[in-house]
Amino acid sequence: MNIIFGAVITLSSAILLFISPDAVLASFISGGEKALSLSMKLVVVYAVWLGVFGLLEKTGLSSKFARLLKPFNKLLFGDVPPLANDYMALNISANILGMSGATTPMGIKSIQELEKHPGTEYAIAMFFVVNATSVQLIPSSVLALRTSMGSVSPADIILPTILATLVSSVIGILLVKMFIRKSNPLTEKEPFKKEK
Amino acid sequence: MSAYIIPVLFLIIFVFACFKKVKPYDAFTDGAKSAVPFAVSIFPYLAGIFVMTELFEASGISSAVADFLAPAFRILGIPKELTRLVLIKPFSGSGALALLSEIFETYGVDSYLARCACVIYGSSETVFYIAAVYFAGAKTKNLAKPIIISLVASFASCIFACFICHIM
Repeated sequence: MNIIFGAVITLSSAILLFISPDAVLASFISGGEKALSLSMKLVVVYAVWLGVFGLLEKTGLSSKFARLLKPFNKLLFGDVPPLANDYMALNISANILGMSGATTPMGIKSIQELEKHPGTEYAIAMFFVVNATSVQLIPSSVLALRTSMGSVSPADIILPTILATLVSSVIGILLVKMFIRKSNPLTEKEPFKKEK
Repeated sequence: MSAYIIPVLFLIIFVFACFKKVKPYDAFTDGAKSAVPFAVSIFPYLAGIFVMTELFEASGISSAVADFLAPAFRILGIPKELTRLVLIKPFSGSGALALLSEIFETYGVDSYLARCACVIYGSSETVFYIAAVYFAGAKTKNLAKPIIISLVASFASCIFACFICHIM
């Protein structure tokens, strides 16, 4: 990340120095402004979803649900701590349903939870790739845009989109399986025990 | 159909909460409380990504790279009109959405190019944004491999998208 960031910033600034020096600071500021306005939106969206998740946790629904998805999670991510498993299950289902506001807070919580335990590098990498190549059933923002621009059949992109997103997820998962080793001697001997 | 998913889900959760004698108001506000620290913790990373994207666009590097790569993309079956979309998608979702509506206006909503652009937009995520946000404050620094894998997988799905839109 540091390499990419450094390279892009240096190169862009150097070019802008010759073509329009004023644009350098302007770009920095407008980038910051965009980040702020997105953050404001995110506060609201997160408040709603985290509130609902608060309820889910208190009622115990989330761990029930996670238990349902556990075999699938185990297959994909290997052994993970139970609390992380809860968050991951919620994140993956929110991804599939296309609830983009809900995926991010659960994703961050999953990573934070995974990081507390040694030997979860593989699970973290796999979790990131699954999120980055997300399987989404209904591309709602595209559908809305197509409808508003007067498309004759806005829905005819749904099936190709599902297929394409499946392709990216499957390739992503296979590449993780090929290139990132499940090297955790700790957990192989002793799977995570239920906390509390 | 999709309009019903969320309301039904919320209804189930709230009914279940009452059934379980959980105090819904307390539980909701307890959860919502963490929204602000959450957003604050990811803000610096968002700022980094957005500044990078802005400079990338403003300096003309992005269009230069797009022009440079267009012939190579052509061979893989990605039309040259969509090169910029494929390139901007990993960095910025809103940038990609803006390009998408531009493509709609220029080539028509139901053209091959527009449909193909939709599938490309819908099939991949903003990889760098997700990397920045998910790993905000995380100790894991070795992100190179997962990021490269995600980019390769997204790119493969773009090629697939251009192909499938020919037949569907």
